[in-house]
Amino acid sequence: MKQLVKIVRRELLIILKRPVYILASVGVLIVNAVFYITFMKDGLPHDLPIGLVDEDHSSTSRTFARELDGTQLGKVVYYDDIHLAREHMETGRITSFIVIPKGFNADIQAFRQPHISYYVNSLYFVGGALAYKDILTMVNLTNGAVQRQVLRLKGMNEREIMGRIQPIVLDQHQIGNPAVNYGVYLNGVLLPGVLEMIVILITIYAVGSELKYGTSKHLLKTAGGSVEMALLGKLLPYNIIFTVLGIALELLLFHWLKYPLKGHIGWMFLDILLLVSASEALGLFIVELFPVLRLAISVGAIISVLGFSLAGFSLPVEAMPPYVQGFSAVFPLRHYYLFHVQETIWGSGFAGWWQESVHLLLFLFLPFTLIGRLGHAYKYQDYERN
Amino acid sequence: MKGISYLGTWIRDWYKIFVNELRLIFSDSGVIVIFFVGGLLYPVLYNLIYMNGTVDEMDVAVVDNSGGAFSRRFIRKVDATRECNILMFAASMEEAKEMMQKGLVHGIIYIPEDFDARLVRGEQGIISTYADMSSFLYYKCLTMGASLTMLDEMHEIQMERYLASGMDAQAAWQAVQPVLSDESMPYNKPFSYTIFFISAALLLVIQQTMFYGSSLLAGTLREQNRSFASMSKGLQGLGIGRVLLGRGTAYFSIYMVTGTLIALLIPWLFRLPQRGEWTDIMVLLVFFVIDCIFFTFTWSSLITRRETVFVLFLSISPICLFLTGFSWPQTAIPPFWQYVGYIFPSTFGCRAFINLNTAGGSLSLVAPEIKAMTIQTVIYYVLSSISIFIENKVIARKDKIESLKDKALELRGIDPEEARRLIAGD
Repeated sequence: MKQLVKIVRRELLIILKRPVYILASVGVLIVNAVFYITFMKDGLPHDLPIGLVDEDHSSTSRTFARELDGTQLGKVVYYDDIHLAREHMETGRITSFIVIPKGFNADIQAFRQPHISYYVNSLYFVGGALAYKDILTMVNLTNGAVQRQVLRLKGMNEREIMGRIQPIVLDQHQIGNPAVNYGVYLNGVLLPGVLEMIVILITIYAVGSELKYGTSKHLLKTAGGSVEMALLGKLLPYNIIFTVLGIALELLLFHWLKYPLKGHIGWMFLDILLLVSASEALGLFIVELFPVLRLAISVGAIISVLGFSLAGFSLPVEAMPPYVQGFSAVFPLRHYYLFHVQETIWGSGFAGWWQESVHLLLFLFLPFTLIGRLGHAYKYQDYERN
Repeated sequence: MKGISYLGTWIRDWYKIFVNELRLIFSDSGVIVIFFVGGLLYPVLYNLIYMNGTVDEMDVAVVDNSGGAFSRRFIRKVDATRECNILMFAASMEEAKEMMQKGLVHGIIYIPEDFDARLVRGEQGIISTYADMSSFLYYKCLTMGASLTMLDEMHEIQMERYLASGMDAQAAWQAVQPVLSDESMPYNKPFSYTIFFISAALLLVIQQTMFYGSSLLAGTLREQNRSFASMSKGLQGLGIGRVLLGRGTAYFSIYMVTGTLIALLIPWLFRLPQRGEWTDIMVLLVFFVIDCIFFTFTWSSLITRRETVFVLFLSISPICLFLTGFSWPQTAIPPFWQYVGYIFPSTFGCRAFINLNTAGGSLSLVAPEIKAMTIQTVIYYVLSSISIFIENKVIARKDKIESLKDKALELRGIDPEEARRLIAGD
């Protein structure tokens, strides 16, 4: 116990002496949280620039433009010729553009079915998809408006007209994110992912630095020769920092920003604690495997960046090739995400996520498999340092 | 004559520094791993992960309480879309939701009891859809599948009614669709995740690997107390231009090779769209790589120890990716973050690459981005010169203090080497 206190005190001195530890944990998380939360603060983009080439200049085409401009998603940008509009779409300045041909109004009145053409740049994913949806709706509204005029002339009442022009109405619900908030969806997993990255890197950095700066013998001596004791004392202060960061992050997301949470925030605390512990174990395992700081940190960097993709919250894992699907299980963030889905969307409690917590707990066994290797490296410092 | 000899010295110094930097790079396994393995591994890995790129035939559960001809036709049509696959009919919403919670289905279509009756009466029938929001692609699939089916059904029902009221087919068709529309999504028709993600990420890999690798090197040099700036000592502090350009040429020659592999070979290897002229892309690459070099030189002056670049700056990579506007549209990015984006070459480089390579624009289209990168290059050149200048001064002062200390020790009759060893505790 006395040894443990000694090591913890030694570690606290290191943290105080080298600002990188606080900067790379607290600082990095704050910067990322501020970035992603303010970046997507609108929840869903609005006023996307949609180009309009109006070759008709009629009341109908003007009404169309006004109504498109009035939708929440779209904002009309007028163009005189198609080439410039196309150029601006290619360069991403507008998401899409619509061409209303000459004679549009006259053709409608004479039932000659004029063509509206629209072009969407789907390389810019969210903007393209939303603009596409907006244009599709507007085109159908236009069709509806024309039919309505005709049906009115025939003397139908409004109720009958609605049944005619829109026989089927879709009533769309989004389970777990009713407002279709992109920030809720992304930040709920992205920010824990950043925390995972921080934990993996700092664990590797802290443990590996003892080797690099040749201080591991001193650490072992303080721990009375026990590498387990040395690591316990060494990682304890970081554990406290990471735990506080994790809890603060969940409070920020679900309490302060009021992200939708069907279940209980207490279980989200459990989720993030498991994520932190699993990531710490993974980091420790990596540095045990490669007891050379710069190699271990490169491996940790590659793994934690891949973790974002393989968590499966952007492109779902089942859409990836089979051999990649199995690989996703080695990333703690994947299990955090599955737990998160059960608790935030379904409020399932233990029954929904117990398997994921077991998976995360399994990571804790990893470091024990190679602890002897690190002990050897700590004792003899027989790996290259630089 | 003096001018010529100056030029001669300049070139000789420049060459010496260039070769020395190459030697440093190739004798550091960590840097090699990042430059070559990292630079080429990431694009390959991402291509493998995002091989398919779209969610097709997403499993959907149906709760059909109406069970009539209209509802059955609607369900059949949803099943026929590319987006959705009707996996099962659930007896109740509870059952369907349970299936969704277990991850077996990612969408639910609920058809109420009165659906067919209402349609038969000529009223509006209402269909409810429930999307699993654990991934936005699920939401997109269900929305697309259901909306396209709804539109198709709408036209079909309208046709039937007009025909029933005695119109001929031609007139009914004209009444149903007074306006026709042609859609064109020339670059990424299926909204493939692969095409949009990889197009944005490729050039970012160049910037980030260069930054991390070069910072590793700078950190190592500073750890050993021989910053690159001190190389120019022999030049009496006049050689900043030579140092920057000599080092820069080393990175340029490496990155024009790996950059070409990343920007031309990888898309070809994985059959991504390559609509641009390869010559245009090479021109873009030249501007982008030079910009990245001075960006790296400027910011790596903050790195004082080898590994800190990763612990401090790794999370910058996804931030840079979002700043390119590849996902959240550029126009919706808050102004403050748009300005922050101006710091990074990737903000302009990735956009230009998307426009050139994937949208197939020509070089003149990306002129604004190239102009921005040129301005960045000039600014970063000046900034990195200043940082070298300052570092030189600091090192010179440190050296001076050290030598003064040694002198003081010598005056007291102590050997400075001995003293250093004693202080280090050996």
